[in-house]
Amino acid sequence: MFNHHTPGELILPTRRKFLQQLGHGFGSVALASMLNEQTRAASTASAVNPLLARPPGFAPRAKAVIWLFMTGAPSHMDTFDYKPELQKRNGEVLPGNDPKTGFFKTSGKILKSPFGWNQHGQSGTWVSDILPNLARHVDDMTFIHSCFVKGNNHAPAAIELMCGTNIPGRPSAGAWITYGLGSENQNLPAFVVMHDRKPRGDDQIWSAGFLPKTYQALALDARRKETIDNLVRAKEETDEQQRAALELLRDVNSTHAQARPSQADLAARINSFELAYRMQTAAPEALDYQGESEATKKLYGLGNKTTETFGRQCLLARRLIERGVRYIQIFAGRGTSGDGSVDDVPWDGHDNIETNHRSCAAATDQPAAALLADLKARGLLDSTLVIWGGEFGRTSDSQGTRGRDHNPHAFTIWMAGGGTRGGGFHYGATDEFGYKAVENKVHANDLHATILHLMGLDHEKLTYRFNGRDFRLTDVGGHVLRDIIA
Amino acid sequence: MAKTTDLKTNWGRLARCTFSATAWIALLAAPAFFAAEPATPSPEGIAFFEKKIRPVLAESCYKCHSQAAKDQGKLKGGLFLDTREGVLAGGDTGPSVVPGKPDASLLVKAVRWSSPDLEMPPKHKLPDPVIADFGKWVELGAPDPRSGPKGSAKREINLAQGREFRSFKPLARVAPPAVKNTAWARTPVDRFVLAKQEAAGVTPSAPVSRAKLARRAYFDLTGLPPSPEELDEFLKDQSSDAFAKLVDRLLASPRYGERWGRHWLDLVRYAESGGYEFDGYRNGAYHYRNWVIRALNDDMAYSDFIRWQLAGDKIAPGKYEGAAATGFLVAGPYPGQLTAKTEERIRYDQLDDMLSTIGSSMLGLTVECVRCHDHKYDPIPQTDYYALAAAFAKTVHGTQQLAPDPVVPKAEIEAHRTTLESLVVALRKYETNQLPDRLEKWSEKERVKKPAPAPRWQTLEVIEASGQQVEIETRPDGVVAFVARSKPDPKRPAPAAGKDDPDNLSYTVIAHTLQTNLAAVRLDALADKKLPKSGPGLADDGSFNLTEFSVTASPLKAGDKSASVKLKLTAGQARFAEKEMPIANAVDGKPATGWRAKDKPGVENGAVFVIAGGFAGFEGGTVLTFRADFRTDVIGRLRLALSTGPIPAPTNDAAGKPAEGSDIFAGGTDFQHARELRALLDGKLVEAHRSDAVRWFSRLDEPTKKVLNAVGDHARKVPQPKLTEVYTAVGGGRDVFLLRRGEVDSKEGKAAPGFIQVLATKEPGRWLTPPERDPRLALGDWLADAEGGAGHLLARVFVNRVWKHHFGRGIVATSNDFGAQGAAPTHPELLDHLAGEFIRGGWKLKPLHRLLMLTAAYQQGAEANAQNQQRDPDNKLLWQQPAQRLEAEAIRDALLSVGEKLDPKMYGPAENTVESPRRSVYLRVRRSELIPFLTLFDAPDATRSIGDRGATTLPSQALTLLNSPFVRDIAARLAKRALVKGATPEAAIDQVFQIAFSRPPTDAERAKFGGYFSRQKELLGAADPKLAAGAAEKALAATCLVALASSEFIYID
Repeated sequence: MFNHHTPGELILPTRRKFLQQLGHGFGSVALASMLNEQTRAASTASAVNPLLARPPGFAPRAKAVIWLFMTGAPSHMDTFDYKPELQKRNGEVLPGNDPKTGFFKTSGKILKSPFGWNQHGQSGTWVSDILPNLARHVDDMTFIHSCFVKGNNHAPAAIELMCGTNIPGRPSAGAWITYGLGSENQNLPAFVVMHDRKPRGDDQIWSAGFLPKTYQALALDARRKETIDNLVRAKEETDEQQRAALELLRDVNSTHAQARPSQADLAARINSFELAYRMQTAAPEALDYQGESEATKKLYGLGNKTTETFGRQCLLARRLIERGVRYIQIFAGRGTSGDGSVDDVPWDGHDNIETNHRSCAAATDQPAAALLADLKARGLLDSTLVIWGGEFGRTSDSQGTRGRDHNPHAFTIWMAGGGTRGGGFHYGATDEFGYKAVENKVHANDLHATILHLMGLDHEKLTYRFNGRDFRLTDVGGHVLRDIIA
Repeated sequence: MAKTTDLKTNWGRLARCTFSATAWIALLAAPAFFAAEPATPSPEGIAFFEKKIRPVLAESCYKCHSQAAKDQGKLKGGLFLDTREGVLAGGDTGPSVVPGKPDASLLVKAVRWSSPDLEMPPKHKLPDPVIADFGKWVELGAPDPRSGPKGSAKREINLAQGREFRSFKPLARVAPPAVKNTAWARTPVDRFVLAKQEAAGVTPSAPVSRAKLARRAYFDLTGLPPSPEELDEFLKDQSSDAFAKLVDRLLASPRYGERWGRHWLDLVRYAESGGYEFDGYRNGAYHYRNWVIRALNDDMAYSDFIRWQLAGDKIAPGKYEGAAATGFLVAGPYPGQLTAKTEERIRYDQLDDMLSTIGSSMLGLTVECVRCHDHKYDPIPQTDYYALAAAFAKTVHGTQQLAPDPVVPKAEIEAHRTTLESLVVALRKYETNQLPDRLEKWSEKERVKKPAPAPRWQTLEVIEASGQQVEIETRPDGVVAFVARSKPDPKRPAPAAGKDDPDNLSYTVIAHTLQTNLAAVRLDALADKKLPKSGPGLADDGSFNLTEFSVTASPLKAGDKSASVKLKLTAGQARFAEKEMPIANAVDGKPATGWRAKDKPGVENGAVFVIAGGFAGFEGGTVLTFRADFRTDVIGRLRLALSTGPIPAPTNDAAGKPAEGSDIFAGGTDFQHARELRALLDGKLVEAHRSDAVRWFSRLDEPTKKVLNAVGDHARKVPQPKLTEVYTAVGGGRDVFLLRRGEVDSKEGKAAPGFIQVLATKEPGRWLTPPERDPRLALGDWLADAEGGAGHLLARVFVNRVWKHHFGRGIVATSNDFGAQGAAPTHPELLDHLAGEFIRGGWKLKPLHRLLMLTAAYQQGAEANAQNQQRDPDNKLLWQQPAQRLEAEAIRDALLSVGEKLDPKMYGPAENTVESPRRSVYLRVRRSELIPFLTLFDAPDATRSIGDRGATTLPSQALTLLNSPFVRDIAARLAKRALVKGATPEAAIDQVFQIAFSRPPTDAERAKFGGYFSRQKELLGAADPKLAAGAAEKALAATCLVALASSEFIYID
């Protein structure tokens, strides 16, 4: 099923033997020295390559995560959190409205959802009519309606949702998971981020923070043709020339390393050139989706201007997890143009929730649904945790007359596959207006604890000591949401 | 104990030791105790508890609220529900039960889930009957037979014991130990090292070759490789102190500050942008980076280096250097968008950023933990954190315009003066040759005009104006504008007795008039949006307080010996005045009384003073000197006018306002010039009036205006020091409060400045005296005080950092953590020895480098030694000097250097592009867009203090070295450079080795690289015969690429 450990082209037939020789007598210049103060047990093998796959703490339910991040924050009351009271009491004063909730200023008056709503699936889950494709998959989803964060602006909230607190500088979940589990495919990075225009907060959102850079994300920019820096061999160089260079390099680096037998990182370095060479082939292969069938391309919405970008990203996500990438984050980019959405926070419907959300939904609905369908058809959904949601929710009262402001107190995230309960299960709830989460409130720390758990990691044990403190992704909080696990 | 504990008074108590510090801390942190002892519970009550309450507590609460929970590290909220004492005392949010009052009991509220912030148990609400039982139980008086003391949520902090910990102890003075191998140990430092080795049966490695030693020294001190010539020069010097001389040379190189400045910038999370939402770029942030480089090159004492960064703005107020140094405090992330909701929390985040950076970078302590609770491992109570934070209560992020170079070059001033002189000459010529004619023509026209009725008021042109304790500027429309309050000029002679009142501010304004029969003067106080409440005064409410106003008349004509006359002014009318503060107060000769109108912010005010009996004026013109005195609150925009009458008798209503029909402000206003010219031309243009005439005429006559402006414009452009924006700490902010659990809505007492007590063995007043002394200055003194303050730790942490950079690992391996969780020093006596030497040497860094680099330990090689390897696999005993991988910046700089592309220019703003050929320390550090090449090789992300960078090995690094246009360009340049020196490709390969590795190739390497070169050349030719001509150079470039990608290039032995 999984095609991990792709052997790749062994350019150096003696490589294994050579590494064995090097490994012998390395003693325990531990991972700890290379990885600073890492607490996980070290081995010579992982000293040579810290990205070698490591077993999880217990049996994992998910092997990979794909987080479809709806940048800019969709309104939960206009997507998956149906609130009849809003429809009934449109224009009335919102009880308990608090001017400190939003980022700007809200009217205090209830704004009904401008969209039609219908029930779907066996579970009868309500979904607004802007997401017709995702609506067909509600029975695979588990809805968490009671999410909240502390930050009430995009970057701090996105940092909080990715890194556990809203102060920049902590490693993101993807980096933590890579640190905890290593990489299944040595020719590809374990942690991949895809974005169009960079989301607000930029690289801080997927930072490796104080973890070694080994665990940092590879960011693929949808606007660029060559998406991995320096991946392609120089134009003037032939493969034969490069191989000759690598052979000489291995030779001199081996001599150098053998004269310094106590330094394991020198052996790792020799290995890294071989990995690099194989990446030159493996990564373009993974990223080249042209060989996919026309039906698949159509399923993801390729060839359609509206869905092209997000569709391509979703398709690549599937290709990457098939090849052993563990953690993928896609930051949804701009919607269809002319709707007033801002490129770096497209779902940010301050002015007009209707036009903004229609456009953003149009760009993402079909591809996201295609990803679920495709993963399921290939038997990958069981081992892949798909997460959908933004950095916070939006206010139940209007901003201006038709928009909605930021609302950190309530939003909906759904998960599918990867050991989650599914069946259209609804966890937690907001009040009757969707204004605040009131039942089984779920913070980013709880989401992270749950994600780590599904990946086979105990969030209280996955720690890294930095500046005198054992840090964890979940900071000082986090509860595994056992109710949503199958 | 009172809840609103003032930390300052506790300092006093603490110092007097009336009870132990620990007890005090425990009390401060504990919630209020309820004094009333519960009445003896009834047996029924006990039965109710045992049946209904205890099982629920055990089942649903003990998991997080009991001694057992605490033992498992799962205690929440400091609350113990497993004893009666615990229930009554409560946790962090106060007593959990008020016996008899269920509605006032937090425990009951919590189980009822009545507040979203307090829902217990958190996941599942208890059944309603059980909730009702809790209410009933409390109503019964909370009968509870469980005895035993409340568990303590706090780890007891014992300062006396704390001071016994290795890092907090005073520096030990230990004599260097005796060693067997006295020949090897050339310095006392070596004896410390060798003694441990000998005890462990480990032997040092042989010295490294001289060439390798030089390469090591170059990279260590400058971050750049030696050029073959530099290396050659050193190798030729066979004197015994050749290496010492090399070290001195390198320490004197400006490259030293760039190299070690970068190390420091890691520690202080240096970046040039705010991070968070929009990551706003801080144009003035780079000055701090330059200051650091300069300070290191100047070998500023480390103690001063610290002091300046904490309080440079206090050490040198208004000076560029001071502001640049305090860039340290504000180098951290700070959100670009604030809202009322987040403002206060972000303020505490900002303080936390400052404190945690100071803690990690200077003291090797993790203080950010203490924001929310006492330190879990180190003896630092929460109160210490807020005492430190209080020093920064009035410190926020901001910018200042300052002059990096306050001295204007003499030549510039001279050039300005010369030009001005020539312009003045031209003006004089114009006045003599052209002006009289033009004036005459104008007056001919005027004379035939039918005179229009003259307005009552003439606005006076300001000839000269000055301020006492205020800076002012004058405007062409006659307005005198307040610019800033100024300090009394120290050079000014001491004012007469009674006049040195610091609250007395005044304006003096001089005007000229040729008119006669002066009847009244008028003072207008104008509104302006730039003033508080739009003015007209500088008081917070927009008012002013004019205490005295006078006008003195003196003759304008030169040689007129008539005495000056102080005009007798009487109160005419005010637009607005308070009943008790009418304008009469301004002319009563009493400085204590004044004119004020408090309730008219943003509205123009004014007063007319009638000259009693009128004033005829001097023949040939009058100089009028106006003086307005204020009590602190000056008028922001002041304008003066004159009337030659007639003036109606002013009548005021009760409020001092003009009575109906007697408004003497009315009657129109124009500028004085036309009437002055007419008065002038009634007589004859004489020398004394010439400059007045030019000015007045220039308002009517374009050519005159041009000439005059040319002079005036140039005169104003006196060369000034160039100002630049500096991102630095500025005043502002608010009082700091102790926050329970670090939450802004849980404020306890106001925090007063203080220090980390375990590092303050002397009375804190020692640093804070006098009490008004700036707490940041005090903080610096405490930090550098090795006797009673933190100086011993400051020195330990710093010498350890220097050691780490020279030896690859610190004596304390966790260089940012000297606390109980950090690594123990491998050589504690040596650490103290070095710290002591460092302090005794005046905290000078360069001698410390010298001390370390001249040791035998430093000059070792790295020998494979099975016995050593087995006995000390981690090289903790320093039996070898393993190769160290260069940091990202040094890799990039070394590449630029070998490619002869490096631009040695120093300082300046950040370079915006990575293509810049300047040293990496000058590249832009923008938090959201770090430079990929640098982060790839482990450059930090600049959000927190980084003491120990990693040195990861990644395939993406390999890809960059093999494929990036940058490295390939360097390889091509290196090939060209080598070809210039070596005529043949073979000789060129030798050169490549010399340049890249500071050594010639071995025969084997010569053969391998030569063979590779030939093969590449062949492949190139095969690919495209047309290219065969340039193939040699290209093949050499390919050869260079292998050299640059090889481990030897970036791992320095």
